[in-house]
Amino acid sequence: MKHILDGTLVSIHEALVRQDITPLELTQEALRRAKANDDNAFELLLEADALAFAQTLTTPEPANLLWGIPYALKDNFSTKGIETTAGSDILKGYVPLYDAAVVERLQHAKAILIGKTTLDELAMGGTGMTGHKGVQTNPYDPTHTRQIGGSSSGSAVAVSAGIVPFALGSDTGDSVRKPASYAGLVGFKPTWGRISRYGLFPFAPSLDHVAYFTRSVEDAEILLSVLAGQDQRDATTLTTVFEPSKTLPTSPRLAVLKPVLDSIKNPTILKAFETSIEGLKHAGFTLDVVDFPLTLLQAIYPTYMTISCAEATSNNANLDGIKFGPGYEGKTYQDVMMQARTNGFSELIKRRFVIGSFVLMRENQDVLFLRAQKVRHQIVNALQTIYQTYDGIYLPAAPTVAPLFKNSSDRLSHEYLIADSHLALGNFAGLPSMTIPLGFEGSLPFGVNLMTRAFEDDRCLAMGKTIESVIGLRNLIAPLGAST
Amino acid sequence: MKKVTKDVLVDASTRLLFTMTDEQYTVLLDEFSILIRQMELIGQIPGVDDVPPMTFPFTALSHGLQPDEPVTPLTQEEVTRNAAHVVDGQIKLPKVVG
Repeated sequence: MKHILDGTLVSIHEALVRQDITPLELTQEALRRAKANDDNAFELLLEADALAFAQTLTTPEPANLLWGIPYALKDNFSTKGIETTAGSDILKGYVPLYDAAVVERLQHAKAILIGKTTLDELAMGGTGMTGHKGVQTNPYDPTHTRQIGGSSSGSAVAVSAGIVPFALGSDTGDSVRKPASYAGLVGFKPTWGRISRYGLFPFAPSLDHVAYFTRSVEDAEILLSVLAGQDQRDATTLTTVFEPSKTLPTSPRLAVLKPVLDSIKNPTILKAFETSIEGLKHAGFTLDVVDFPLTLLQAIYPTYMTISCAEATSNNANLDGIKFGPGYEGKTYQDVMMQARTNGFSELIKRRFVIGSFVLMRENQDVLFLRAQKVRHQIVNALQTIYQTYDGIYLPAAPTVAPLFKNSSDRLSHEYLIADSHLALGNFAGLPSMTIPLGFEGSLPFGVNLMTRAFEDDRCLAMGKTIESVIGLRNLIAPLGAST
Repeated sequence: MKKVTKDVLVDASTRLLFTMTDEQYTVLLDEFSILIRQMELIGQIPGVDDVPPMTFPFTALSHGLQPDEPVTPLTQEEVTRNAAHVVDGQIKLPKVVG
């Protein structure tokens, strides 16, 4: 018999309101599962704080869907009085003095934070293999030989393994939407600026988004209603108010980008994708395979690397090991910083920072950094052309199921698939983008992605609900067979 | 564009205030050869230099001054709480001058 915690936000909320279970009992079960899980999801479990807060929640709030619901938070969001390291030794021992805006909103909604989740160091990775707490493994793979994906790896594990019904992450290239594909989850990144980034450790602010994992599109919509809103502490937040759409757009039109689809070779993924297209056509959608300049798609990865490394180098210059982090001795303050940064950053981070520094050098800017920003503009212009005709872009979220660790690398390669990097289109243009479970290859899940016009988060969610309904995979919990 | 050599990368990492091993520089040189080649191909995209650089996905949507409300600043204890070396309420660093 399934546990109430295995449900969606709505079903858990209804159980709480009926008092079939208390927030305390729900939190105890979430913590029990977190301790039993061996996929390395958590930097820190907040058992005492979570149980103490849950005990105070005694009167159900029928209109508040997040009341008494346990959740997890990627450890690159500031939490007042709680160590926050972003998966990096250079921030070891750092205890923020303030809460991130999203933490405030969830506290206000009386959701219960049970722990801070593991991640790729400083959110600058896509494998879940580079954080200082070691690798995160995929709950769908009992042999622990496969990635969950990153950088929001621990949050993906926490929701996929049924520990919590939702968890927050951040998405700069695909750091929520790609792991969602490998984890059988809904991964949603709303329009850039829809959710305040106040208190999110910056990686590349022109690309960074607050994003999150849920087990249904409806849950993603509920969460956005709580998290969205202007915040004067983040000047990039949108002034418009998010309201869920009551209806599906009339005769939605979706574009399938031919070069991306052509680069996918996995027959199981292609067949499931084709089946979903037929189902969507029956549901009233129009889907067309359309061309898109291949050169621009091939430019996604180097453009992303150039821009993100440049922004990261600048944004992380404050990690000096003096104001916070482990203290080192030295004869000069430069010596202190040199020791802190040499010992505090992993090799990957150092390589990324040197790339960022190089592309920003005066003599290199025109042909590297500024050219990458120009290509970004070209790519966004090409996307806007698509959106003049279509309501969204519909594609497999990834070309494969979760990769084996032995086949994974954090080094740049001559060979990469455009189908492995196309989700970054949503970051370049700040578009709402959602990964939804599409199928299984053996016991391993894979997902599909919908990317709609900027500011049309409501339409993205409305179409996502129909896509989820057509595919018929909802509320999945690992391993296969544990789903409800 | 500056030629990518180990010396250039050592200089960059030194200015970033960290050191790397010889093996790490070798990996980095390989990565640069890939990235530079890819960026050269990008330079051949028709019209690439005819558009302005894009800094953010869209232009700022909100403008204006923040309300002029007094706030309580952090206390000295709060500001120094995360520093490893604090003396008399101030962060201690090696002497800069003699």
